[in-house]
Amino acid sequence: IFFPGFDAEEDLIGSLADMSTKERIKAIQKLPETMRKKREIRNKVLQEITKKSRHRGAQPSCCTQCLQGAAVSFRRFGNSLSEYFHQLRIWQKTLKIIGAEFGTSVLSYFVFLTWLLNFNIFSFLINFSFITIPQFLAAEPNNLSFTGLELLTGDGYFQQTVLYYGFYTNATISKIENGPSYNMQLAYIFTVGMYFVICFLILLFSMAKYFSRNFVNPQAVSVNSSKLLCTWDFNITNEKAVKLKQKNLSTQIKEGLTEVNKEVVNFSAMERVHRVAVHLLAWAASLGTAVAACAGVYFLAINNLKLFMKGHRNDLESRAAMLVLPMIASLLNTLIPFFFSWLGHLERFQSPGQHIYVTIIRIIILKMSIVGILCYYWLNIVATYESQCWETLVGQDIYRLVLVDFIFCLLGSFFGEFLRRIIGTTFCVSLGLPEFDIGRNVLDLIYAQTLTWIGILFSPLLPGIQMIAFFIVFFVKKVSLMRNCQPPRKVWRTTQMMTSFIFLLFCPSFLGVLSVIGVTVWRLKPSEGCGPFRGLSSMYAAVTEWIQILESYTASKWVVWIYHNLISSELFFFILSSIVLIVTYLYWQIIQGRKTMTKLLRKQIIN
Amino acid sequence: MGNKQTIFTQEQLDAYQDCTFFTRKEILRLFYRYRDLAPQLVPLDYTNKPAVTLPYELIGSMPELKDNPFRQRIAEVFSEHGDGNMTLDDFLDMFSVLSEMAPRDLKAYYAFKIYDFNNDDYICKSDLEKTVNKLTRNELTSEEVSLVCEKVIYEADVDNDGKLSLADFQHMIVRAPDFL
Repeated sequence: IFFPGFDAEEDLIGSLADMSTKERIKAIQKLPETMRKKREIRNKVLQEITKKSRHRGAQPSCCTQCLQGAAVSFRRFGNSLSEYFHQLRIWQKTLKIIGAEFGTSVLSYFVFLTWLLNFNIFSFLINFSFITIPQFLAAEPNNLSFTGLELLTGDGYFQQTVLYYGFYTNATISKIENGPSYNMQLAYIFTVGMYFVICFLILLFSMAKYFSRNFVNPQAVSVNSSKLLCTWDFNITNEKAVKLKQKNLSTQIKEGLTEVNKEVVNFSAMERVHRVAVHLLAWAASLGTAVAACAGVYFLAINNLKLFMKGHRNDLESRAAMLVLPMIASLLNTLIPFFFSWLGHLERFQSPGQHIYVTIIRIIILKMSIVGILCYYWLNIVATYESQCWETLVGQDIYRLVLVDFIFCLLGSFFGEFLRRIIGTTFCVSLGLPEFDIGRNVLDLIYAQTLTWIGILFSPLLPGIQMIAFFIVFFVKKVSLMRNCQPPRKVWRTTQMMTSFIFLLFCPSFLGVLSVIGVTVWRLKPSEGCGPFRGLSSMYAAVTEWIQILESYTASKWVVWIYHNLISSELFFFILSSIVLIVTYLYWQIIQGRKTMTKLLRKQIIN
Repeated sequence: MGNKQTIFTQEQLDAYQDCTFFTRKEILRLFYRYRDLAPQLVPLDYTNKPAVTLPYELIGSMPELKDNPFRQRIAEVFSEHGDGNMTLDDFLDMFSVLSEMAPRDLKAYYAFKIYDFNNDDYICKSDLEKTVNKLTRNELTSEEVSLVCEKVIYEADVDNDGKLSLADFQHMIVRAPDFL
């Protein structure tokens, strides 16, 4: 645009020549110039660099020329290597097609699904390598017979396999006499602990990244201009989707204009009271439903346990009866959200966005309270029951829940999308094609992942099962989407969606899982007869015992010191928290100062 | 390293890799897409830098662009003489900026140029009106269009000159995370 004076260009070339290779390439890529100009600048920069190096050093000897040649070919090799890694990112082509046909909001569901899948793949790999493979070396023979029902109920033959906590030995495995030994207890607790720490860090950093990119001060956003100039989704290439988006945008603009023309509706005092009463009633109804669902699940679970303990029969009937609890839980999880959605319609919110947010919050409360009541049941009832191996029982329960939830997810896709399309196109044409319900599907994913995370401690291979489940869900959802659904009509705030998904995954889900695992590891007594922690007073006692053993070795005194003074000392955490609070407060004040600065600067520009 | 290809010299490929966000394979794939639009016009040997330009009609018929309401403006912005006819350089440039690897500031810069229909480095009211019509397929009446444009300028114009400069536009983009 502005004719770059010769000086400006020389300055640019000079500054580019001073950068490192990587930064230089990035800077050239970002230049808003035509390709021809960029190539000219690049050539000039390269000439400048060779000129400088010739000024600096002596004659470029054979050696330096060789090295430079080697550096160039190494960079080319690095480029082609990163190309191959890029191809390894699974399903890139599928994701692009989905984004092109349905827009970015539907795409964000699938991106979230692949993200969760990576968590499970990682967990499965480390659990398998560090816990299961050593266990194979010290495995006891399995005397039970295999009937087909195991795949659904997870008990029977599977009870004596590496699938569950109970099978793992508490011995120190060593194949060779006086050779290197492998302490299974420490391996178990450290692998699971490390995994959760890494998950925590990944979630934290992803959340921070998305927050910093997408957090918009709601007062400063200029609704109309951003709607017009920024929301066109250039990813869409499907003609139908484009037409739909255009119609949607024109409707929105029309609505926006009529809102301005209409007077702001002042509700009379009676009407306001009426509205507040309706909202309170709806909230009472939804919380009451959630509590009723939890009570139902709890009593069913206790009943189940009593029957199981009393009967102890191993025939098919009683084993199939174990499936009733997961089915009821999944049924409640599937049907009650429809009730909440209907409640939301009754309430007549002021904007559709509010309706969606309130419904999602209610569904989250429902799902998390069901998980919570189940955890309470497992940790307080099952763990203290006099039985052979409570961890394996809990693991089996979780296995069944995960499996039935997966089946219900597939069924939901079948009924919600396939049948609905048939009804919408043949019987009741006014309904039209269904839309892909992003909110409900994402909450299903979060629920499934919460169960998997809780189950890692009791069933180390559960992430592998969930991994397979997610694979299948991806394909089924994709096929169902392409065949049955139409692009979404409402415009979501698409970039805020990924932020809210990750936030929902972190806040109720992951933190809840951490507290459950914390209680299990620190407070509960492991069962006497099975598992790697048998005989100890708690699972954490393995670590304290190990520290005590280490105290006798002088070479590892530093580990003991770190443990006593940093990890198990309250003073250290107190000081750490104070520092974090102080730093947060300072950053907050800096932000306030910057806001005032922006206001002042803006006034200066206008005048 | 890799397949031997005879379309570009190694230096040309290096230059392309440095100037766009694409890898070597992607550049070759884009070349083949470019060639597929008019196999008789585009030679298979670019080592001697032939001056080949494809007319706008062929570019606008690509499946990625054919339904995009702004395809003509996009082609004009990226073409060498502003007429929509693109050389291979322009072609690669366009896809590089539109790809997901390009940073938002670069996209904002080019988006500004796309919305600036009369190429005067400002988005004035008439540019906005044309944008609104393209975005809504001429479904709004002219009063509605006019009202909307006035509101947009009122909200986004920071320096109060009645039209949006590049700085105003970028300022708005920064605060609106939905920009893709």
